[in-house]
Amino acid sequence: MEKQQSMAKQPPSPSLSLQEWETLLDDFGSGSPARCARWLPLPLLDLALNAFLRRDFASHLKPLLLLFIDDLLSSPTSAPSPSDSLPPLIDALRSLLLTSSPSASDPSPAPAAALLRDQFMATAVSAAVSSLDAPLDASSAALLEPLVEALLTVTNRPNHGPDRQSRAAACECLRELESAFPCLLADAAGHLWALAQAERTHVAQSYLLLLATVVRDIVLRPGLLSSPTSILSTSVPLVPFSAPSCFLSHPSADRDREPSEVNLREIKRVLGFLWERPQALTPAATMELVSILTSIAGALEQHVPTGGALLKVQFSGLIYSYHPILCHIVLMLYSGFPDAFAGEDERNIARRLALMAREAHQPLVFRLLALHWLLGSPRLGKGKDSLAPLAPRFYPGVFDPLALKAKKLDALACIAASLDTLEMRRKGEEDGRRALIVKLFQDGLVCISAYKWLPPWSTETSVAFRTLHKFLVGVIPHRDDCSEEPQLVFLMDSIIFSTLQSMLVNLALEHHGLVLVIGIFIDQLLKCKGHQSVGERLLQKLDEHLLPKLEMGYRLTSYFPIFERIAENDTIPPHGLLELLMRHIVSITVKHGPNSGLSLWSQGTKVLGICRMMLKHHHSSRIFLPLSRLLAFICQCYPDLEVRDNARIYLRMLVCIPGKKLRQVLNLGEEPSGVSPSPHPGSLFQVPSPRHSENIKNSGGVSSYIHLERVVPLIVKQSWSLVIPKSNMEDNMEASNVVGISDISISPSAESDKDGEMNFEQISYIKEPLRVMDANVAEILGVLRKHFSCIPDYRHMSAIKIRIPCTLRFESEPFSHVWGDGSSTFDSEEGEALPAMYATTITFSSTAKYGKIPPCRVPFLLGEPLRNRYDIIPVGNSFDEGSSHRASVNIELEPREPMPGLIDVTIKANAETGEVISGRLQSIAIGIEDMFLKASIPPDIEEDEVPGYYYDLFHALWEACGNSASTGRETFPLSGGKGAAAIHGTRSVKLLEVFLDSLIKNVEKHLASYVVSVIGDPLVNIVRNNGIIRDVVWENDTEAFVAHDVNALVPYSENVPLQLPYFEGDAENLSPVSKRTIGTFIILIFLPPRFHLLFQMEVGHSSTLVRVRTDHWPCLAYIDEYLESLFYT
Amino acid sequence: MPSSSPCSIRALWILSSQDNVAFSRRFPVVEKRWRLACARENERSESVGYSVLPLLPTDPELVSAFSERKRREGSAQGFGIRLAQSTQGSDSWVDDPITRHIISLSIKREGGEEEFMLWPLVLHTKGSYYIIILPFVEPQQFKAYEKLCTRSDCGGSVGEEYSLSSLLYNLPCITGAIMVAHTVGDIITGDVVDPDVVISSSPSVGGLLDSLTGSIGISARAKPVGASVAASSTSGASAVGTIAMDASKSTSRPIDKDALLTFLSSSMPFGTPLDLDFAHVSVIKAHGFSSSDLPPAELKQPAWKPYLHKGKQRMLFMILETINAAMYDRDEIPDSISITGQVNCRADLEGLPDVSLPLSGLKNASMEIVSFHHCVQVSEHGDDKQALMFSPPLGNFVLMRYQALCGPDPPVKGFYQLSMVSEDEGAFLFKLQLMEGYRAPFSMDFCTVSMPFPRRRVLSFDGNPSTGTVSMTEHSLEWKIVTSGRGITGKSIEATFPGTIKFFSRTIQRGPSLPRSVSRNMVEEDTHSDAEQDTANNTLNIEDNLMEKMNKDLESVDLEEPFCWQAYNYAKVSFKIIGGTLSGMSIDPKSVSIYPALKAPVELSMQASSGEYILWNTLGKCPSAVSPKVY
Repeated sequence: MEKQQSMAKQPPSPSLSLQEWETLLDDFGSGSPARCARWLPLPLLDLALNAFLRRDFASHLKPLLLLFIDDLLSSPTSAPSPSDSLPPLIDALRSLLLTSSPSASDPSPAPAAALLRDQFMATAVSAAVSSLDAPLDASSAALLEPLVEALLTVTNRPNHGPDRQSRAAACECLRELESAFPCLLADAAGHLWALAQAERTHVAQSYLLLLATVVRDIVLRPGLLSSPTSILSTSVPLVPFSAPSCFLSHPSADRDREPSEVNLREIKRVLGFLWERPQALTPAATMELVSILTSIAGALEQHVPTGGALLKVQFSGLIYSYHPILCHIVLMLYSGFPDAFAGEDERNIARRLALMAREAHQPLVFRLLALHWLLGSPRLGKGKDSLAPLAPRFYPGVFDPLALKAKKLDALACIAASLDTLEMRRKGEEDGRRALIVKLFQDGLVCISAYKWLPPWSTETSVAFRTLHKFLVGVIPHRDDCSEEPQLVFLMDSIIFSTLQSMLVNLALEHHGLVLVIGIFIDQLLKCKGHQSVGERLLQKLDEHLLPKLEMGYRLTSYFPIFERIAENDTIPPHGLLELLMRHIVSITVKHGPNSGLSLWSQGTKVLGICRMMLKHHHSSRIFLPLSRLLAFICQCYPDLEVRDNARIYLRMLVCIPGKKLRQVLNLGEEPSGVSPSPHPGSLFQVPSPRHSENIKNSGGVSSYIHLERVVPLIVKQSWSLVIPKSNMEDNMEASNVVGISDISISPSAESDKDGEMNFEQISYIKEPLRVMDANVAEILGVLRKHFSCIPDYRHMSAIKIRIPCTLRFESEPFSHVWGDGSSTFDSEEGEALPAMYATTITFSSTAKYGKIPPCRVPFLLGEPLRNRYDIIPVGNSFDEGSSHRASVNIELEPREPMPGLIDVTIKANAETGEVISGRLQSIAIGIEDMFLKASIPPDIEEDEVPGYYYDLFHALWEACGNSASTGRETFPLSGGKGAAAIHGTRSVKLLEVFLDSLIKNVEKHLASYVVSVIGDPLVNIVRNNGIIRDVVWENDTEAFVAHDVNALVPYSENVPLQLPYFEGDAENLSPVSKRTIGTFIILIFLPPRFHLLFQMEVGHSSTLVRVRTDHWPCLAYIDEYLESLFYT
Repeated sequence: MPSSSPCSIRALWILSSQDNVAFSRRFPVVEKRWRLACARENERSESVGYSVLPLLPTDPELVSAFSERKRREGSAQGFGIRLAQSTQGSDSWVDDPITRHIISLSIKREGGEEEFMLWPLVLHTKGSYYIIILPFVEPQQFKAYEKLCTRSDCGGSVGEEYSLSSLLYNLPCITGAIMVAHTVGDIITGDVVDPDVVISSSPSVGGLLDSLTGSIGISARAKPVGASVAASSTSGASAVGTIAMDASKSTSRPIDKDALLTFLSSSMPFGTPLDLDFAHVSVIKAHGFSSSDLPPAELKQPAWKPYLHKGKQRMLFMILETINAAMYDRDEIPDSISITGQVNCRADLEGLPDVSLPLSGLKNASMEIVSFHHCVQVSEHGDDKQALMFSPPLGNFVLMRYQALCGPDPPVKGFYQLSMVSEDEGAFLFKLQLMEGYRAPFSMDFCTVSMPFPRRRVLSFDGNPSTGTVSMTEHSLEWKIVTSGRGITGKSIEATFPGTIKFFSRTIQRGPSLPRSVSRNMVEEDTHSDAEQDTANNTLNIEDNLMEKMNKDLESVDLEEPFCWQAYNYAKVSFKIIGGTLSGMSIDPKSVSIYPALKAPVELSMQASSGEYILWNTLGKCPSAVSPKVY
């Protein structure tokens, strides 16, 4: 009713007009649910059936109508239930069959009408099959019975008249029903057997197939064959049809019973009849039949053991057909009954398949398929005996399509691999085997050898490299298990691998266009878990054999893709490549012409690209020597300015930034946003704060509520540090290299380091001739000897210690959430309710060279009341009321290098519940200023002599760190008498644009204790009045000290000009400091274990020039930042 | 597991080149089977937590997935082999050329998040249409492929256990689906042709339909002589200079949907193909059967012979050969010549007689591969002798096909030399020997030599051949040595043609760049900056230099081409020889016997024509292949 209402606008007639039908079919044909939706409320099936049965309905739409019904009834969403849809459909079919029956007045209906009728049968069957589910219950079977009966009636017309095609169609319909509902026609087998024997027209095929299907289902159904009555009995009449009893019953009843004699005999008869004339069937039908026969023979193997062999005899001749389906039929039989095809038959099949691939008249896809069949067959493709003799047949022909060539080469690869197996290797005949494999490989490649000179994007190239891969991987294919290692050795020993190695080297040498492709080829291996080491090995080979053979010149650019991969791979020593690049750069620098500007730039940039790659992928220690030499050369001599600049940046990064951080920095630079260029060199080194990363690492850990904090915060939020080899040779026994804060994975060999260190010295410092020592120098040496003798040699005695005061506290609330018993609530007023930690042990570790850091113990610590959470408690007040909430902890360092770093902190404590709390706390950052100490005073110096001693010491060190190198050859014994130090000074300057007041305030606040002397009346007056700086040498004369120090402005690295130009004594506008100097601070800082930092601050009203000297030049990098943070914040 | 047919088809689509669905058909019965199989499989592997979706895409979903694949893989077929830009999960990741024919599609459901893969789809390109067929495979096999195309390693090797090869070996449905695709392709483009049978009295004898109407000798089709020759030679060299572009073949007639529907519902009413012979289906549809069509009294009519012959009886054989040759005229590379032949037959015999045909002299003819029509029973399978017994179908059919390695002397011998004297001018020389050693009745019908220059425009040429005429087109030179109608019989001629050719100066014309393993931008970036250096210290000769320059513009070819034709200089010879075969293959009409004996004259005709008959420029580069010695 509702339907009709909704259809009010539609014509109320039960039929649609022709046009409407066309629209409807179109809508449904589009597949769009939206367009179909409006039709769905209609009783579509009835309408369609009515229209179809009408004689006057447009005949061209009728087939489409059938398709529509088919789609409609099979659609999982819109199909009506089978009990609604099937009866009208079957009724319609019956009426159609009746009206157009050949027994009616017109004995031969028009072929087109007959065709339509046949299609309608198919539609009805299709609807039944797709709407009913096997196994059928009685009610569903009842729905099916009239349909089967109607079809059987058609099938059962015992004449050879004009309706033969319809009978064939009915057979097919029945076969489909039988396939969907096995044993539906079991009782009819006898009749079908008779019909199949009787039929002599071309449709006999359909009867044959129907019979075969029914018999197969009977055989496969347990129990049916064991019945004493013949399965071919015709005792039950064909029509009227009712579903057989066995069809509805469960078959499990008598599963294991033997087939009865009579039925075995019957089956053999049927089989004999079925395979009588395989040629009489169409190829597609033969395939059906063979598939059915295979399953029958397989099921009856025990009882009819010759089934497979008989099938083989009947059907194996089909392999000589040019019809691909027939060839595949033989393969089906072969895989079903492999034993029947032993020996000669097997070889015949293999030979025929190999030949089929050569048949030029076959469409390409079948030629490819033939090869696949051959290689995919479990027996043919594997056995060396079957494939190897066929090798000549797999040789690609000139006019074979590339696809086929590729596949034939696969087959050759397969043969080569089979010749290279372990068994074959053991067998010996090494020479012959080797020659054969290499011959297969090279002969095969000839047919695509144009890849050598065609552009690298050519298909020939792709095919060639694919083939290389197949040959290579064929020796050890991928396996699911991960036991690749011993296998790889096997591969590396293989003939293919050695051939391929040298081939790649030669290819790259001779055809530079292919270098990129070789690179991609190696990438492919590198990315693969199983063959990564093969790729590495190839790269190593290229590194060893290709690099030395390359000629210098512009052609070398073509090889950069390979260089990049070598640079990226840390299994390859970088020396070879870096030397090559060095030679390359030298040759460009020497040879470049006047017009090669762009080319110079591009070449230089590419070389730098490789350098960058090395920085990213190798440990700094490994590349330090050759890379710094290369970069130094570029930034000194390369003709292109930008390249020089960039080289300088890289050099500085290499020198100043520890390995892991450096890699991070370089990675950062690769992001599109990048690091914005800044005139200030410090910004180059900005790296993400380690605190941040620690936070992420420890999120959710104890560090979120237990805090160990520095009492004095750092001025510089240092996040990186630099460790440089000691300048004196004795320290070599200590592993000394450039190491990142958390870069712990390095363990370079001592030898390479020593090597690197010595050479580094050669680059960085120009050796000066030995000088005759004068009295002044002797005096300086005296002072220095005295000083150094006070410095303990940390290798033999306890070193100078640095203490970092920290506080430990924890937040009550989150702590109790985790460790408490949950019952206590927090009241900040009542201390008793606060949680506590007992027997806390804090251990420290650091990758920076801080020596051994003793752990700290805190016996008892109370949680922090909430209100106090953010209070800062001064260090000195450690005994005030907060003391039970905070524990002061001193971290003691014995620095081996004055360097900033991070100290990792782990905590272990007991909670009140007895549970053990453990975890990592946030790391403590150590800044360079933590390293600042006053120089120790020799015991024989009286207290009032101290300022003078410092003053002399400063001047001695200042001189020693200067450029004169008068002390460069001297060594100074350290305390303990075993070690000695040498001084290698470096100098730098820094212009601070700060006003006088602020400068003095900051110096007094942070550097007061290190001030040795203040020079110049105005300054002395100001500082003296403040009274913070005491016990220093006050001097009035400024000129004397400054004047002889003009050349102090040389930058701290000889080869790297600093970008700060400063011309002392020139025009006033250039040097605002020189004449306006108010005075000078002289500052001496001792850096443990034995280094010094010297400042000479020429203080002006609005700016101050700081001259810096040190005997530990790496610290300059931090000092720069330190000074900035100190005075600009 | 219920055993199901080895070859069923779930659905079939025909897409036009503009990516519209021109036709689609689904087979609900097979789809039902797929749904059941999926349910079984998912139940079995429930613990794995991964299921196969029992879905079939709608037409728009399929189209969008197909064009997505086209976009990703550069063409409808795809890369075929794994290249640098192949993505995991795509067909080219599997790294096998057959994935250009058996593809997968990733279907995104409309309006839903759901995405599922469809495999195997047999893709066949015919005319401007793509025919896509989805056969039924077991869900495990589908999963196996899915695993293959998502593998994370560097690509499969041949000897692997679960390879594409072993899948294809176990999937006859794919073979069947490809056959269906080819048949459907022929139907929609109207290419359904019977094999030629030419006899002396009339140019061509009609096919099955003609034999029914009894119009033997009066060809129903106005088919020029040698049409099959032309058709067979279109595959290779005529494609020179064309880069296979999917869109370029878009001129075609609309699909005859009616014929297609009829064919599908007769040949595979439920999706399982039974008879793929379109001629049968259309004849039965047109004629039906009358009560006068009586079956033979004793024998059963084969399924491929729905009608029996009535009327005048005779047997016709025709041997057609195609000769492919790569002529190098070099010491280090031997010429390679191969002959492909077929014996077409037409047996107008009443009843269902068996015909026996002894073949001999196979060894002499270096017969390498012989394969037969399925009506043939091969009783004796020796090296040199074979006796065929067959019960011929009605109409023309290909009785057997063969391939011979090389016959006696090739009919056209000689050399072609082209040397560039400057960038735009070349001097060439032909010296050819035609029909040397061929006596009557061999007769050369025509012989033409063409020199294609697909990448240069010909400005002019100069020179006179010793015989024949020369004409010029924009991109080639044609030299007609022997013209049709004035063929030569029983004598050999020598022809020379020295001359010069001038080209317009070279302008770089680039077609759309096909994506290949190495993007050309990557390469060009390098070469540009160094270009000036290259020319400066170049010590190569003009030709190599020119070659190198030209090669920079070369496009990569499809995997269906044997090599990059455009990279070479060559001359292509086309000819036709009648009156004999080049391989020496022959049939003795007297030895043909028919059982039960009946009197029918047996006629035989023979002809040979050129396929790829290439004279490589002796002075240039040329593709070659190693011919193994042992056979």
